[in-house]
Amino acid sequence: MLLTQPSERVGAVPVAQAAGTPPGRRVRLPRRGIRRLAGLAWILPALVVLAVFVYLPLVQNLGFSTMEWDIYSGSQEFIGADNYAKLVRDPIFWSSLGNNVLYAVISLAFQVFGAIVLAAIIEGIRSDRWRRSLRAIYFVPSAISLTVAGLLFYFIYEPNLGLLNHVLEQIGLAAWAQPWLGQESTAMVAVIAMSQWQGFGYSTLLFAVAIQRIPSELYEAAAIDGIGTIRRFFTITLPLVREMTGLMIIVTISGAFQVFNEVMVMTSGGPNNSTQVLGTWLYRNGFVRNDFGYAAAIATVIFVVTLAIALVQLWINRRRRVEW
Amino acid sequence: MHAPRITAVTALAAASALALAGCAGGNAAPAADISAEPEYSGTLSILTKFGGDPLGPYFETLAAEYEELHPDVTVELIQETDQSVKDKTKTLTASGALPDIYFTWTGNWAQNFIDGGLAADLSEVIAPGTEWGDTFGEASLSAFEVDGKYYGIPLYNNGKFMGYNTAIFEEVGIEVPTTFEELIESCAPLRAAGYEPIAFGNKDGWPALHYLQQLFAYNVPADVLQDDFSPATATLDHPGYVASLEQFKTLVDECTDTGTGTNGVLYTTAQEALAGGRAAMYYQEILEFDTVTAEGNTLTPEEFGIFPLPVPEGAEGDPEAIEGSPEGYLINARSPRAALAVDFMKFATTLENATTLSSPPYGQPSTVVGAVTPETSSVAVYDGITKVNEASDLVIWLDTVTVPEVADAWLAGGEALISGGSTPEQILESVRNASDAAQ
Repeated sequence: MLLTQPSERVGAVPVAQAAGTPPGRRVRLPRRGIRRLAGLAWILPALVVLAVFVYLPLVQNLGFSTMEWDIYSGSQEFIGADNYAKLVRDPIFWSSLGNNVLYAVISLAFQVFGAIVLAAIIEGIRSDRWRRSLRAIYFVPSAISLTVAGLLFYFIYEPNLGLLNHVLEQIGLAAWAQPWLGQESTAMVAVIAMSQWQGFGYSTLLFAVAIQRIPSELYEAAAIDGIGTIRRFFTITLPLVREMTGLMIIVTISGAFQVFNEVMVMTSGGPNNSTQVLGTWLYRNGFVRNDFGYAAAIATVIFVVTLAIALVQLWINRRRRVEW
Repeated sequence: MHAPRITAVTALAAASALALAGCAGGNAAPAADISAEPEYSGTLSILTKFGGDPLGPYFETLAAEYEELHPDVTVELIQETDQSVKDKTKTLTASGALPDIYFTWTGNWAQNFIDGGLAADLSEVIAPGTEWGDTFGEASLSAFEVDGKYYGIPLYNNGKFMGYNTAIFEEVGIEVPTTFEELIESCAPLRAAGYEPIAFGNKDGWPALHYLQQLFAYNVPADVLQDDFSPATATLDHPGYVASLEQFKTLVDECTDTGTGTNGVLYTTAQEALAGGRAAMYYQEILEFDTVTAEGNTLTPEEFGIFPLPVPEGAEGDPEAIEGSPEGYLINARSPRAALAVDFMKFATTLENATTLSSPPYGQPSTVVGAVTPETSSVAVYDGITKVNEASDLVIWLDTVTVPEVADAWLAGGEALISGGSTPEQILESVRNASDAAQ
């Protein structure tokens, strides 16, 4: 096993050689300034697109979050940090943030740790046909759009005609039947459960790919040494999928703070705001309460949280990686 | 490394400049001239609430006929549903891209556009006494009147009634209830006969507000209620509010199959329960009458009856008030084609087109005088619109009559009441807080 910096693995190839010029023949390179300008010209379209569609809205949003904005008259009054002060006092903002955290925790349990275990089990199956079939079966929900999956589960959870309550009644568990999305105590968990069903297979597939990259010799050597399946999982599989695990943790947490579609389709944040997450609370303040300045402040919080997560991701990517 | 840094700084500066430009944009534009001679050319944009079946084809047909009359005019339709039109309108408003003609409810919804200078003053052409204005019922024009000026073109009237299956009532042997208490009492025999007494779905929150607003009109004196809609004058301390919330909770618990889980049921699922003959009653708008009795449904027009939500005994409000109001269209005050927009709406409200709108399959009772008759409209629609016209007062929907913050507090409160998460007193307190904050 070898520990290297990613940059060390890319050899310094001379420009002429990289371009396919025969060795020994000298090529006059353009002057440095011209080359730099040419490089800029190539990346300029991308920079313009980024500036207009990413950085401009970002700057505008920051501006809007300090305004009281009447979309009807078009008037915008500067109110400083008032929207942020309101945010601190708003109990639904905090419960929304709590729901995002709950979403992240449950997603980590299922879509990261659960997915690793499932991927290891699938990859441990000897039959190629079964392995492929199981990967496909688990991946299918991820191919369905979140909106469609949300609608599908809305009808599964429906209290009168829904499949879930019907099944519970059929197997003698009628007492467990609930209006899943209709009461504060179960609505959020019901939405999160749908999300896990939808995302679980995708994570499993990614981990399966990571596990496939582990040399089989390591498992064979461990088997010869009499090491059991569970110990092989903890001593070989887990350490060698560390990179993918780190990435999935970041992606999962980041996704949990940007959740919107499934909540909007299934509950619109109700009942009684019990399933509000930051995204839907932002939407509600902007598009229902006409308080676009406050909505912009919530958007800023989402941006800060996801930016922090992205920075952690960058930091992790700088760390040494395991190679074999 | 310098050049990229310069590019990034330039991009940021450009972004900031554009952002500031956006901030300063406002809605400045020349006012519309609605009395000018229309120039029959160009594209006329219209935002409707008739997206999907069965209403979608109505404006599509109108647009095609208008384009045929004026070949140089193109009508661009943006057709949304009852739920999505809210977001679409606000997005277009915020981005300064309101169409030439756009849908509106009455109350605070329309008021925002009028206050913001986004709705053209149509008094000159539609006020009572004008040629066009005299084709409408005066009350429907007044619904869009502010400070003596008329802004809206009322397209159809609406009201909320309890629709019921007369065959089920006959089978079970119950009469149309005359008091709220009788309505609750009728639920037990209906359930015993195997029917859901009242189908109800509150997934979107507003269906609960429709019950509540009608009960508020019955239980709270009209002048108090009007004062309470505005945060500046609201006290929200009349005992009729708590009584109404308690009555509504009783109805949900005693008369619906889902009870505390009703927040998980779609409004349309409940509608289908009545249409499919599984439920005996369903509280609905006139606009839905022809839908629940449409061809293919178990419920036929002959077996469909309506009655206003019965009045609770001892209620202190107005027992003759009915919840409802016209819905209509505003003309963008900044539209360069305002005169053409007026011309199109005159075309849309001719007696012939108004009669089509009032007849099945559309069933939207037009505000145009003479468009709704027993011959052209279904019995239920005609009956409903007659009751609306006879009502002592029309109480506007709770989610559009007051400011959004208060409406939203009522919305969450209605859901909490159904699920048992809050008591009537707690709900009223949260609405009071929202009203105070909105002042």
